[in-house]
Amino acid sequence: MTLFRKTPNSPPMEDAHADDSWKDWFALHGPKLLLCARQWTRSLADAEDVVQDAFVRFWRNQRQLGGEPLALVLTSIRRASFDLARREFRRAAREELAETRPDDAAPWFETPLEGEDRRRAIEAALRRLPAEQREVLVLKIWGELTFAQIAEKLDTPLNTVASRYRYALNALRSELTAADCHG
Amino acid sequence: MDEDFQQLEAELKRLRPLAPSHEFRARLERTLAPRPRARLLRFSWVALPIAAAVATMLTLAPVPRREKNSAPPQLPAALFKPVAAENVLIASRDEGLVTLADGTPARRTRQSYVDTITWKNSRTKASLKWSVPREEVRVVPVSFQ
Repeated sequence: MTLFRKTPNSPPMEDAHADDSWKDWFALHGPKLLLCARQWTRSLADAEDVVQDAFVRFWRNQRQLGGEPLALVLTSIRRASFDLARREFRRAAREELAETRPDDAAPWFETPLEGEDRRRAIEAALRRLPAEQREVLVLKIWGELTFAQIAEKLDTPLNTVASRYRYALNALRSELTAADCHG
Repeated sequence: MDEDFQQLEAELKRLRPLAPSHEFRARLERTLAPRPRARLLRFSWVALPIAAAVATMLTLAPVPRREKNSAPPQLPAALFKPVAAENVLIASRDEGLVTLADGTPARRTRQSYVDTITWKNSRTKASLKWSVPREEVRVVPVSFQ
């Protein structure tokens, strides 16, 4: 049985009893999952917890469902983040996530061989984006979801999602241009 | 999308998200490692008659007819796609020590879940939700030192 059918880059997990077969898929997609999770949680440790929770649940119980595994796990991660927010803050999860500004110092991206200053500038600009814009941008660029998938996951109109994406790119471009001008 | 945006997008895509740490991967590996001596009994299919009472179907548009059976709904894959799958733990009970057939002492725990799977038709916005109770009994041999 082929368990991951529709993601072209995904190594297939052919055997439900092959205990290590999740590793290839996670090696490819784990960094994206973690980056997306960090948009909805307050720390790297929290992000790891929700990724673990969602991925283990997916691997054990949901991988036979078909569909887009990456999209399904991302949905699960977002829900787990909501649950975590509920447990921690005792407030409406949606409000809480909207207000969440990731505050952990651990970098979001690997250090490139060259252009580390540029990586820092981009990451700093990303962190300053409004949460709802950053969420769309991260899901689109690194989560590799379509606007339609993002709209469905966020339960937000497609046009709003596309607008947030453009606002985010525009804000990033402005910040990075200003940073370039000021050296 | 103007050219500046395309350049910026390309630059963003070149950034590689931070890989999960070795500690995190090791933790995941431990969690997903096979449990060598644990005996896991699943009763999900035993619970199907109850599931029929619990199963909830929400339709906003006509859904193709399907045969009545005990398996999850069989819907045209092109129309409906799974968008969410949740497992909610509703009760967990430690039933204490038991003795296995070979005399090994073991601890037995019983967890009750409700699994809910949601399919959605992105074209018509129709959705279908399927909930089923599931009970897991874990018998884990213990050793006394």
